[in-house]
Formats: sequence, C-alpha cells, structure tokens
Amino acid sequence: MAALAVSPTRMELLKLRQRVGLAQRGHDLLKEKMDALVIEFFEVLRRIQEARMKALEQLSVAHRALSMCFAIVGTLETKQASKETRRELQVEISTRHIMGIAVPAVEVREVERNALVRGYGLHMTSSVLDEASREFERALKLLIELAELEGSAFALARELEKTKRRVNALEYILIPRLKEALKFIMMRLDEMERENFSRLKRIKAMLEERG
Amino acid sequence: MSADRLIKLELSKLNVHLPERRPSLREALSSARPQVVARDGSTHAFKREELEFLAGLLPEADRDKLQLPILIALEPKLGRGTARISGEAEVKVVSQVLEKEASAGELLIYRPEVAILRKKLPTTTQYLFLW
Repeated sequence: MAALAVSPTRMELLKLRQRVGLAQRGHDLLKEKMDALVIEFFEVLRRIQEARMKALEQLSVAHRALSMCFAIVGTLETKQASKETRRELQVEISTRHIMGIAVPAVEVREVERNALVRGYGLHMTSSVLDEASREFERALKLLIELAELEGSAFALARELEKTKRRVNALEYILIPRLKEALKFIMMRLDEMERENFSRLKRIKAMLEERG
Repeated sequence: MSADRLIKLELSKLNVHLPERRPSLREALSSARPQVVARDGSTHAFKREELEFLAGLLPEADRDKLQLPILIALEPKLGRGTARISGEAEVKVVSQVLEKEASAGELLIYRPEVAILRKKLPTTTQYLFLW
C-alpha cells in the first residue's frame, strides 16, 4: 500500500486526525446508505418476482385463448383480424425518487379496450377472438408494470454498486492510508521527543562535569 | 478533487431527496395531488391509499400532527441498522404498523423493522441520514 507523504509535525497530526474523522464518518454513513439500498433492492426484487409470475400466468392464459381462436376462427382469419387492428397506447413515463435515485414510473391508461374500437370487423370474427384480444391486453398491462419494476431494479443496482465501490475505497484504501500516516507521525514525534530528552540529559551531564 | 472534498460532496448529497417542507396528513389528504418538492427540485408523490391507511391509524385530532413523509433517521452512532423515528404522531403510527409498544416521542427500530415499514409505507416514509 502506498503511504501518504506527510511531514511529521503536530500541525499535520491534527489535520490528519480531522481527515480520519471525516473519512470514518463518510464510511459509516455510506454503509448505512448501502444497507438502506439493499432493503429497497430486495423489496423491488420481491415485487418483480410477483409481477413476473402474474405476467407469465396471464400470457399463458392469453396464448391458450389464441390457440382456441386459431382452432375456431382459423389461423388465416385471426392473422387477418390482427392486421386490421390498430393500437395507440398512451404511456406516460416519468421518474420517481427512491433516496434520490431516479427510477422510472410508467403510467398507462386503459390498456383493455372495447371490441368495437379494436379495429377488426365484428361480423367476420368470433367472440373467441375478442376473448384472446382481451387476455393479451391484460398481459400487456402486466408486462408494462414488470418493465417499470425492472427499470427500478437496474437503477437501484447501479447506485448500490457505486456506493459499495465508495465504501470499499474508504474502508480498504483511504482510511488505512490515513491511519498509517497518523501512526507514522505519532511514532516520529515520540522518537523526536525521546531524542530531545536524551540530548537534554547529555547536556545536563556535560554541564555537571564542567561545574 | 481531493478525497476529502469527494467525501464532503457525497455527504452533502445524502439528504437531497428530503422535502423542503413537510405537510401534515390532513393537508396531504385534502390535496388533489398529494406530493412534496424535494431539495433537489424533484417531486415526491404520496399514494392516496397509504394516506388513507395512515388516517385510519390516527384519531382525527392527530392528523395535523403527523408530518409527511415520516422520516426514518439513520444515525451511525446508534449502531449499524438502527433507525430513529421522532415525533409523537409519527411514533404512534409506526408502532401500530410494526405492532410495537409505543414510547413517548421517540422510537428505535431495527433493520428488519425498517424493511417492513418501507414495504407497508413506501411513499409516505423516507430515509434521513444524520451524523
């Protein structure tokens, strides 16, 4: 470990003590922040698991409905109806803050639509097509929620990584270096004091010899 | 930039997510869009169902006393993972949410309880870092 270049003076000792105090305080607080981020991160992960399960369940329901649709209405007819469908989804993407970290907030209005506004002709299609469309629209809503949560998890993970790097830099590099420099100055000052003491003793002995 | 300045900068950024002014529960409930403006200029919105949940925990007279968001103060000198909740109404609410015995004016909670509190009240609680 590269040591800090310091001059062994009392002034420097006081400055170093202040620096160690600041670094220690920063380290403790950043560690608290890291713990809080871990709590938030695990909560988001738990919600992601729930949302993913719901979305997968809904997607399997939707695919089952689509298979029924293929079987009853016919593959070509279903594909034709899907081409006739038009969709404009109003999604409002903003940010919200968790401990100052901007995470995405997605707001979506009315994913599920009435069969009349989907765009395909009702006289040539069956109710099973409506059913399949409805199930896919429900799945889409769940997928949007999942995307929001995954975005939050990524943002939190990035901040967690950054904070951990800083905590480690303080814990394993800066604080040990400062403490080493502090120890060096204290030892050097002690040594200087001992040198001074023996010098004084020697002078005293010389003066006594002369006297 | 020196290491010391970097540390000071990091410490100064720790509490920028906190609001400049904390409205009372009554104010938040009566607002059409209950939200606060943070020190960094961002807005933090409260979920209405959380506000209603909090209102259900407090008697009508205490709604003016509860200031939002409830601050979970993390202070290294309390020990790692220990947090402090201050304020009479805040303590009352948190102790009910955590099913803990209420103490007067101040409550110490620990990491698993912080996790439960944040899970139940994600928008009406915020972390405060003290040193």
